Amino acid sequence: MALTGKAGEFFDETGRIARFAGRFFTMGLKPRYEIRELLTQCFIIGYKSLPLIGLTGFIMGLVLTIQLRPSLTAYGVESELPVMVGIAIVREIGPVITALIFAGKIGSSIGAELGSMKVTEQIDAMEVSGTNPFKYLVATRIAASTLMLPVLTILGDAISMYGAYIGVNIRSVTSFHLFFSQIFNSLSFGDLAPAVIKTFFFGFAVGLIGCFKGYNSSKGTRGVGSSANSAVVLSSVLIFIIDFLAVQLTDILGLNY
Amino acid sequence: MANQEGNNIKLGVFVLAGLFVLIFAFYMIGKNQNMFGSNFELKTRFYNLNGLAEGNNVLFSGIQAGTVKNIKLINDTTIEATMLIDDKIRKYIHKNAVVAIGTEGLMGNKIVNISPGKGASPLVAEGDLLAAQKNISTDEMLQTLSKTSNNVAIISEALKGTVLRVNGSALLDLFNDKSIGVSLKSSLKNISKATANASEITQSLNKIVAQIKNGKGGAGVLLSDTAFAGNLKEAMVRIKSASDNANQMTIQLNNMVKEIQQELGNGKGPLNTLLKDSVMTKNLSRSMDNIQKGTDNFNQDMEALKHNFLLRSYFKKLEKEKQNK
Repeated sequence: MALTGKAGEFFDETGRIARFAGRFFTMGLKPRYEIRELLTQCFIIGYKSLPLIGLTGFIMGLVLTIQLRPSLTAYGVESELPVMVGIAIVREIGPVITALIFAGKIGSSIGAELGSMKVTEQIDAMEVSGTNPFKYLVATRIAASTLMLPVLTILGDAISMYGAYIGVNIRSVTSFHLFFSQIFNSLSFGDLAPAVIKTFFFGFAVGLIGCFKGYNSSKGTRGVGSSANSAVVLSSVLIFIIDFLAVQLTDILGLNY
Repeated sequence: MANQEGNNIKLGVFVLAGLFVLIFAFYMIGKNQNMFGSNFELKTRFYNLNGLAEGNNVLFSGIQAGTVKNIKLINDTTIEATMLIDDKIRKYIHKNAVVAIGTEGLMGNKIVNISPGKGASPLVAEGDLLAAQKNISTDEMLQTLSKTSNNVAIISEALKGTVLRVNGSALLDLFNDKSIGVSLKSSLKNISKATANASEITQSLNKIVAQIKNGKGGAGVLLSDTAFAGNLKEAMVRIKSASDNANQMTIQLNNMVKEIQQELGNGKGPLNTLLKDSVMTKNLSRSMDNIQKGTDNFNQDMEALKHNFLLRSYFKKLEKEKQNK
């Protein structure tokens, strides 16, 4: 082991996360499924996050519109404001902002929940009682966050658009119909499809990191706090890394027109 | 468990709402790219696409008609663009429609404009090749403009020289001379008079022509009198009959001459005797001699008579009068 110190720790952590992910795909996707727990987690992760995502999305659309207006006015293309905001929200702002909020809310809650369960030895008790804790706790949460984030992103996009519509109408007047036809005229599948697909990876990353940090939480109440914290930080960083990879990939594949 | 049930319903609504929005978005985009309606294909070939890409809009007379489906290089100077056109527009596009590449706004996306051609033509069919208009790119325009400005520079240089020469020439004096104006004025006055005269002449001519038309005046009668024409015709007829008579007479004369010749040849008739009988000629000659002699004698007699006393005084008187004169 030539690797020492922080570098060694980093690679060790990366390897363990990869192994954890592999465990999810080998064990978590096999029957028998914990459907009821999955639905409960979907409800908590997806439905309960909607108000927060909706609020941030709405404000994001509104603010983005207000912020972009002066530059577009300077170019004399103020009428392109809906197009500009629409493309920005659908392609980048919507997925990334939603994923970051999602990481802040869900990543930390999963990390803290699983961490406290680990610390209080509930997970060990579960194992003893014959329930597979990985399947019951981890697989359901990762699957739920993977499935729920795209839905949240789409709804968040829609709410952001409405915010943008209001933002446009603060200084000028546009009809709802014109606003949306302008946006959908400028959008293409190359805008929407990659944006939706990458949110699955965002959701998977958030669920995976949250579960990993919680599941491997160190002993003590401090361990719970640190696992919740590091889950948010790491999943946020991963979101940006995945986003970068996704954009590069769509660009290379020629979908980025 | 009731709570669980309620939560599941909420979750279901949440997920369905998300899916609905996603499907709606996909549908809207697809609708704009004509992926769901019934379409047909049209092709066109360009020399230069100017940045036209697959998915760009196709407008027919400014109305959204479809999208560019495919772009294919045929050879180094020909690029074929396949357009997906909405079936609803099909019945308005004729085979002679012209395709051109345009720009949305001043700097926006490239678009394909289909404009109706002139004259009647059948409607397009699936896969028809429409004629493309060569579009002028900004670069070409600038190149032409540069040529034009060079030409303008040369022309202005030449003009400058011309103006300088004109400035120093006698022509300018001519323009500046005030007396020219006066003479020009009088010339114009003369021209005006001449024109008035010409007008009068024309009027007179007009009158004459009118008279001729109405059959007044000598020329009028000559040209318009029908009775005169009748007379003329009659005269012509008479002249013709006269000439016929003359002709007949000539024929008769001819016959006569022939007869005379025949008679002369045969030695018969009085003429022959007159012209050819030698005895008669002798007789005539003798008679003439006799007449000669007779007149000689008469001469002598008359001389003798002059000298006769009865008549001598008269002749003397005549001589005297001659001398007085």
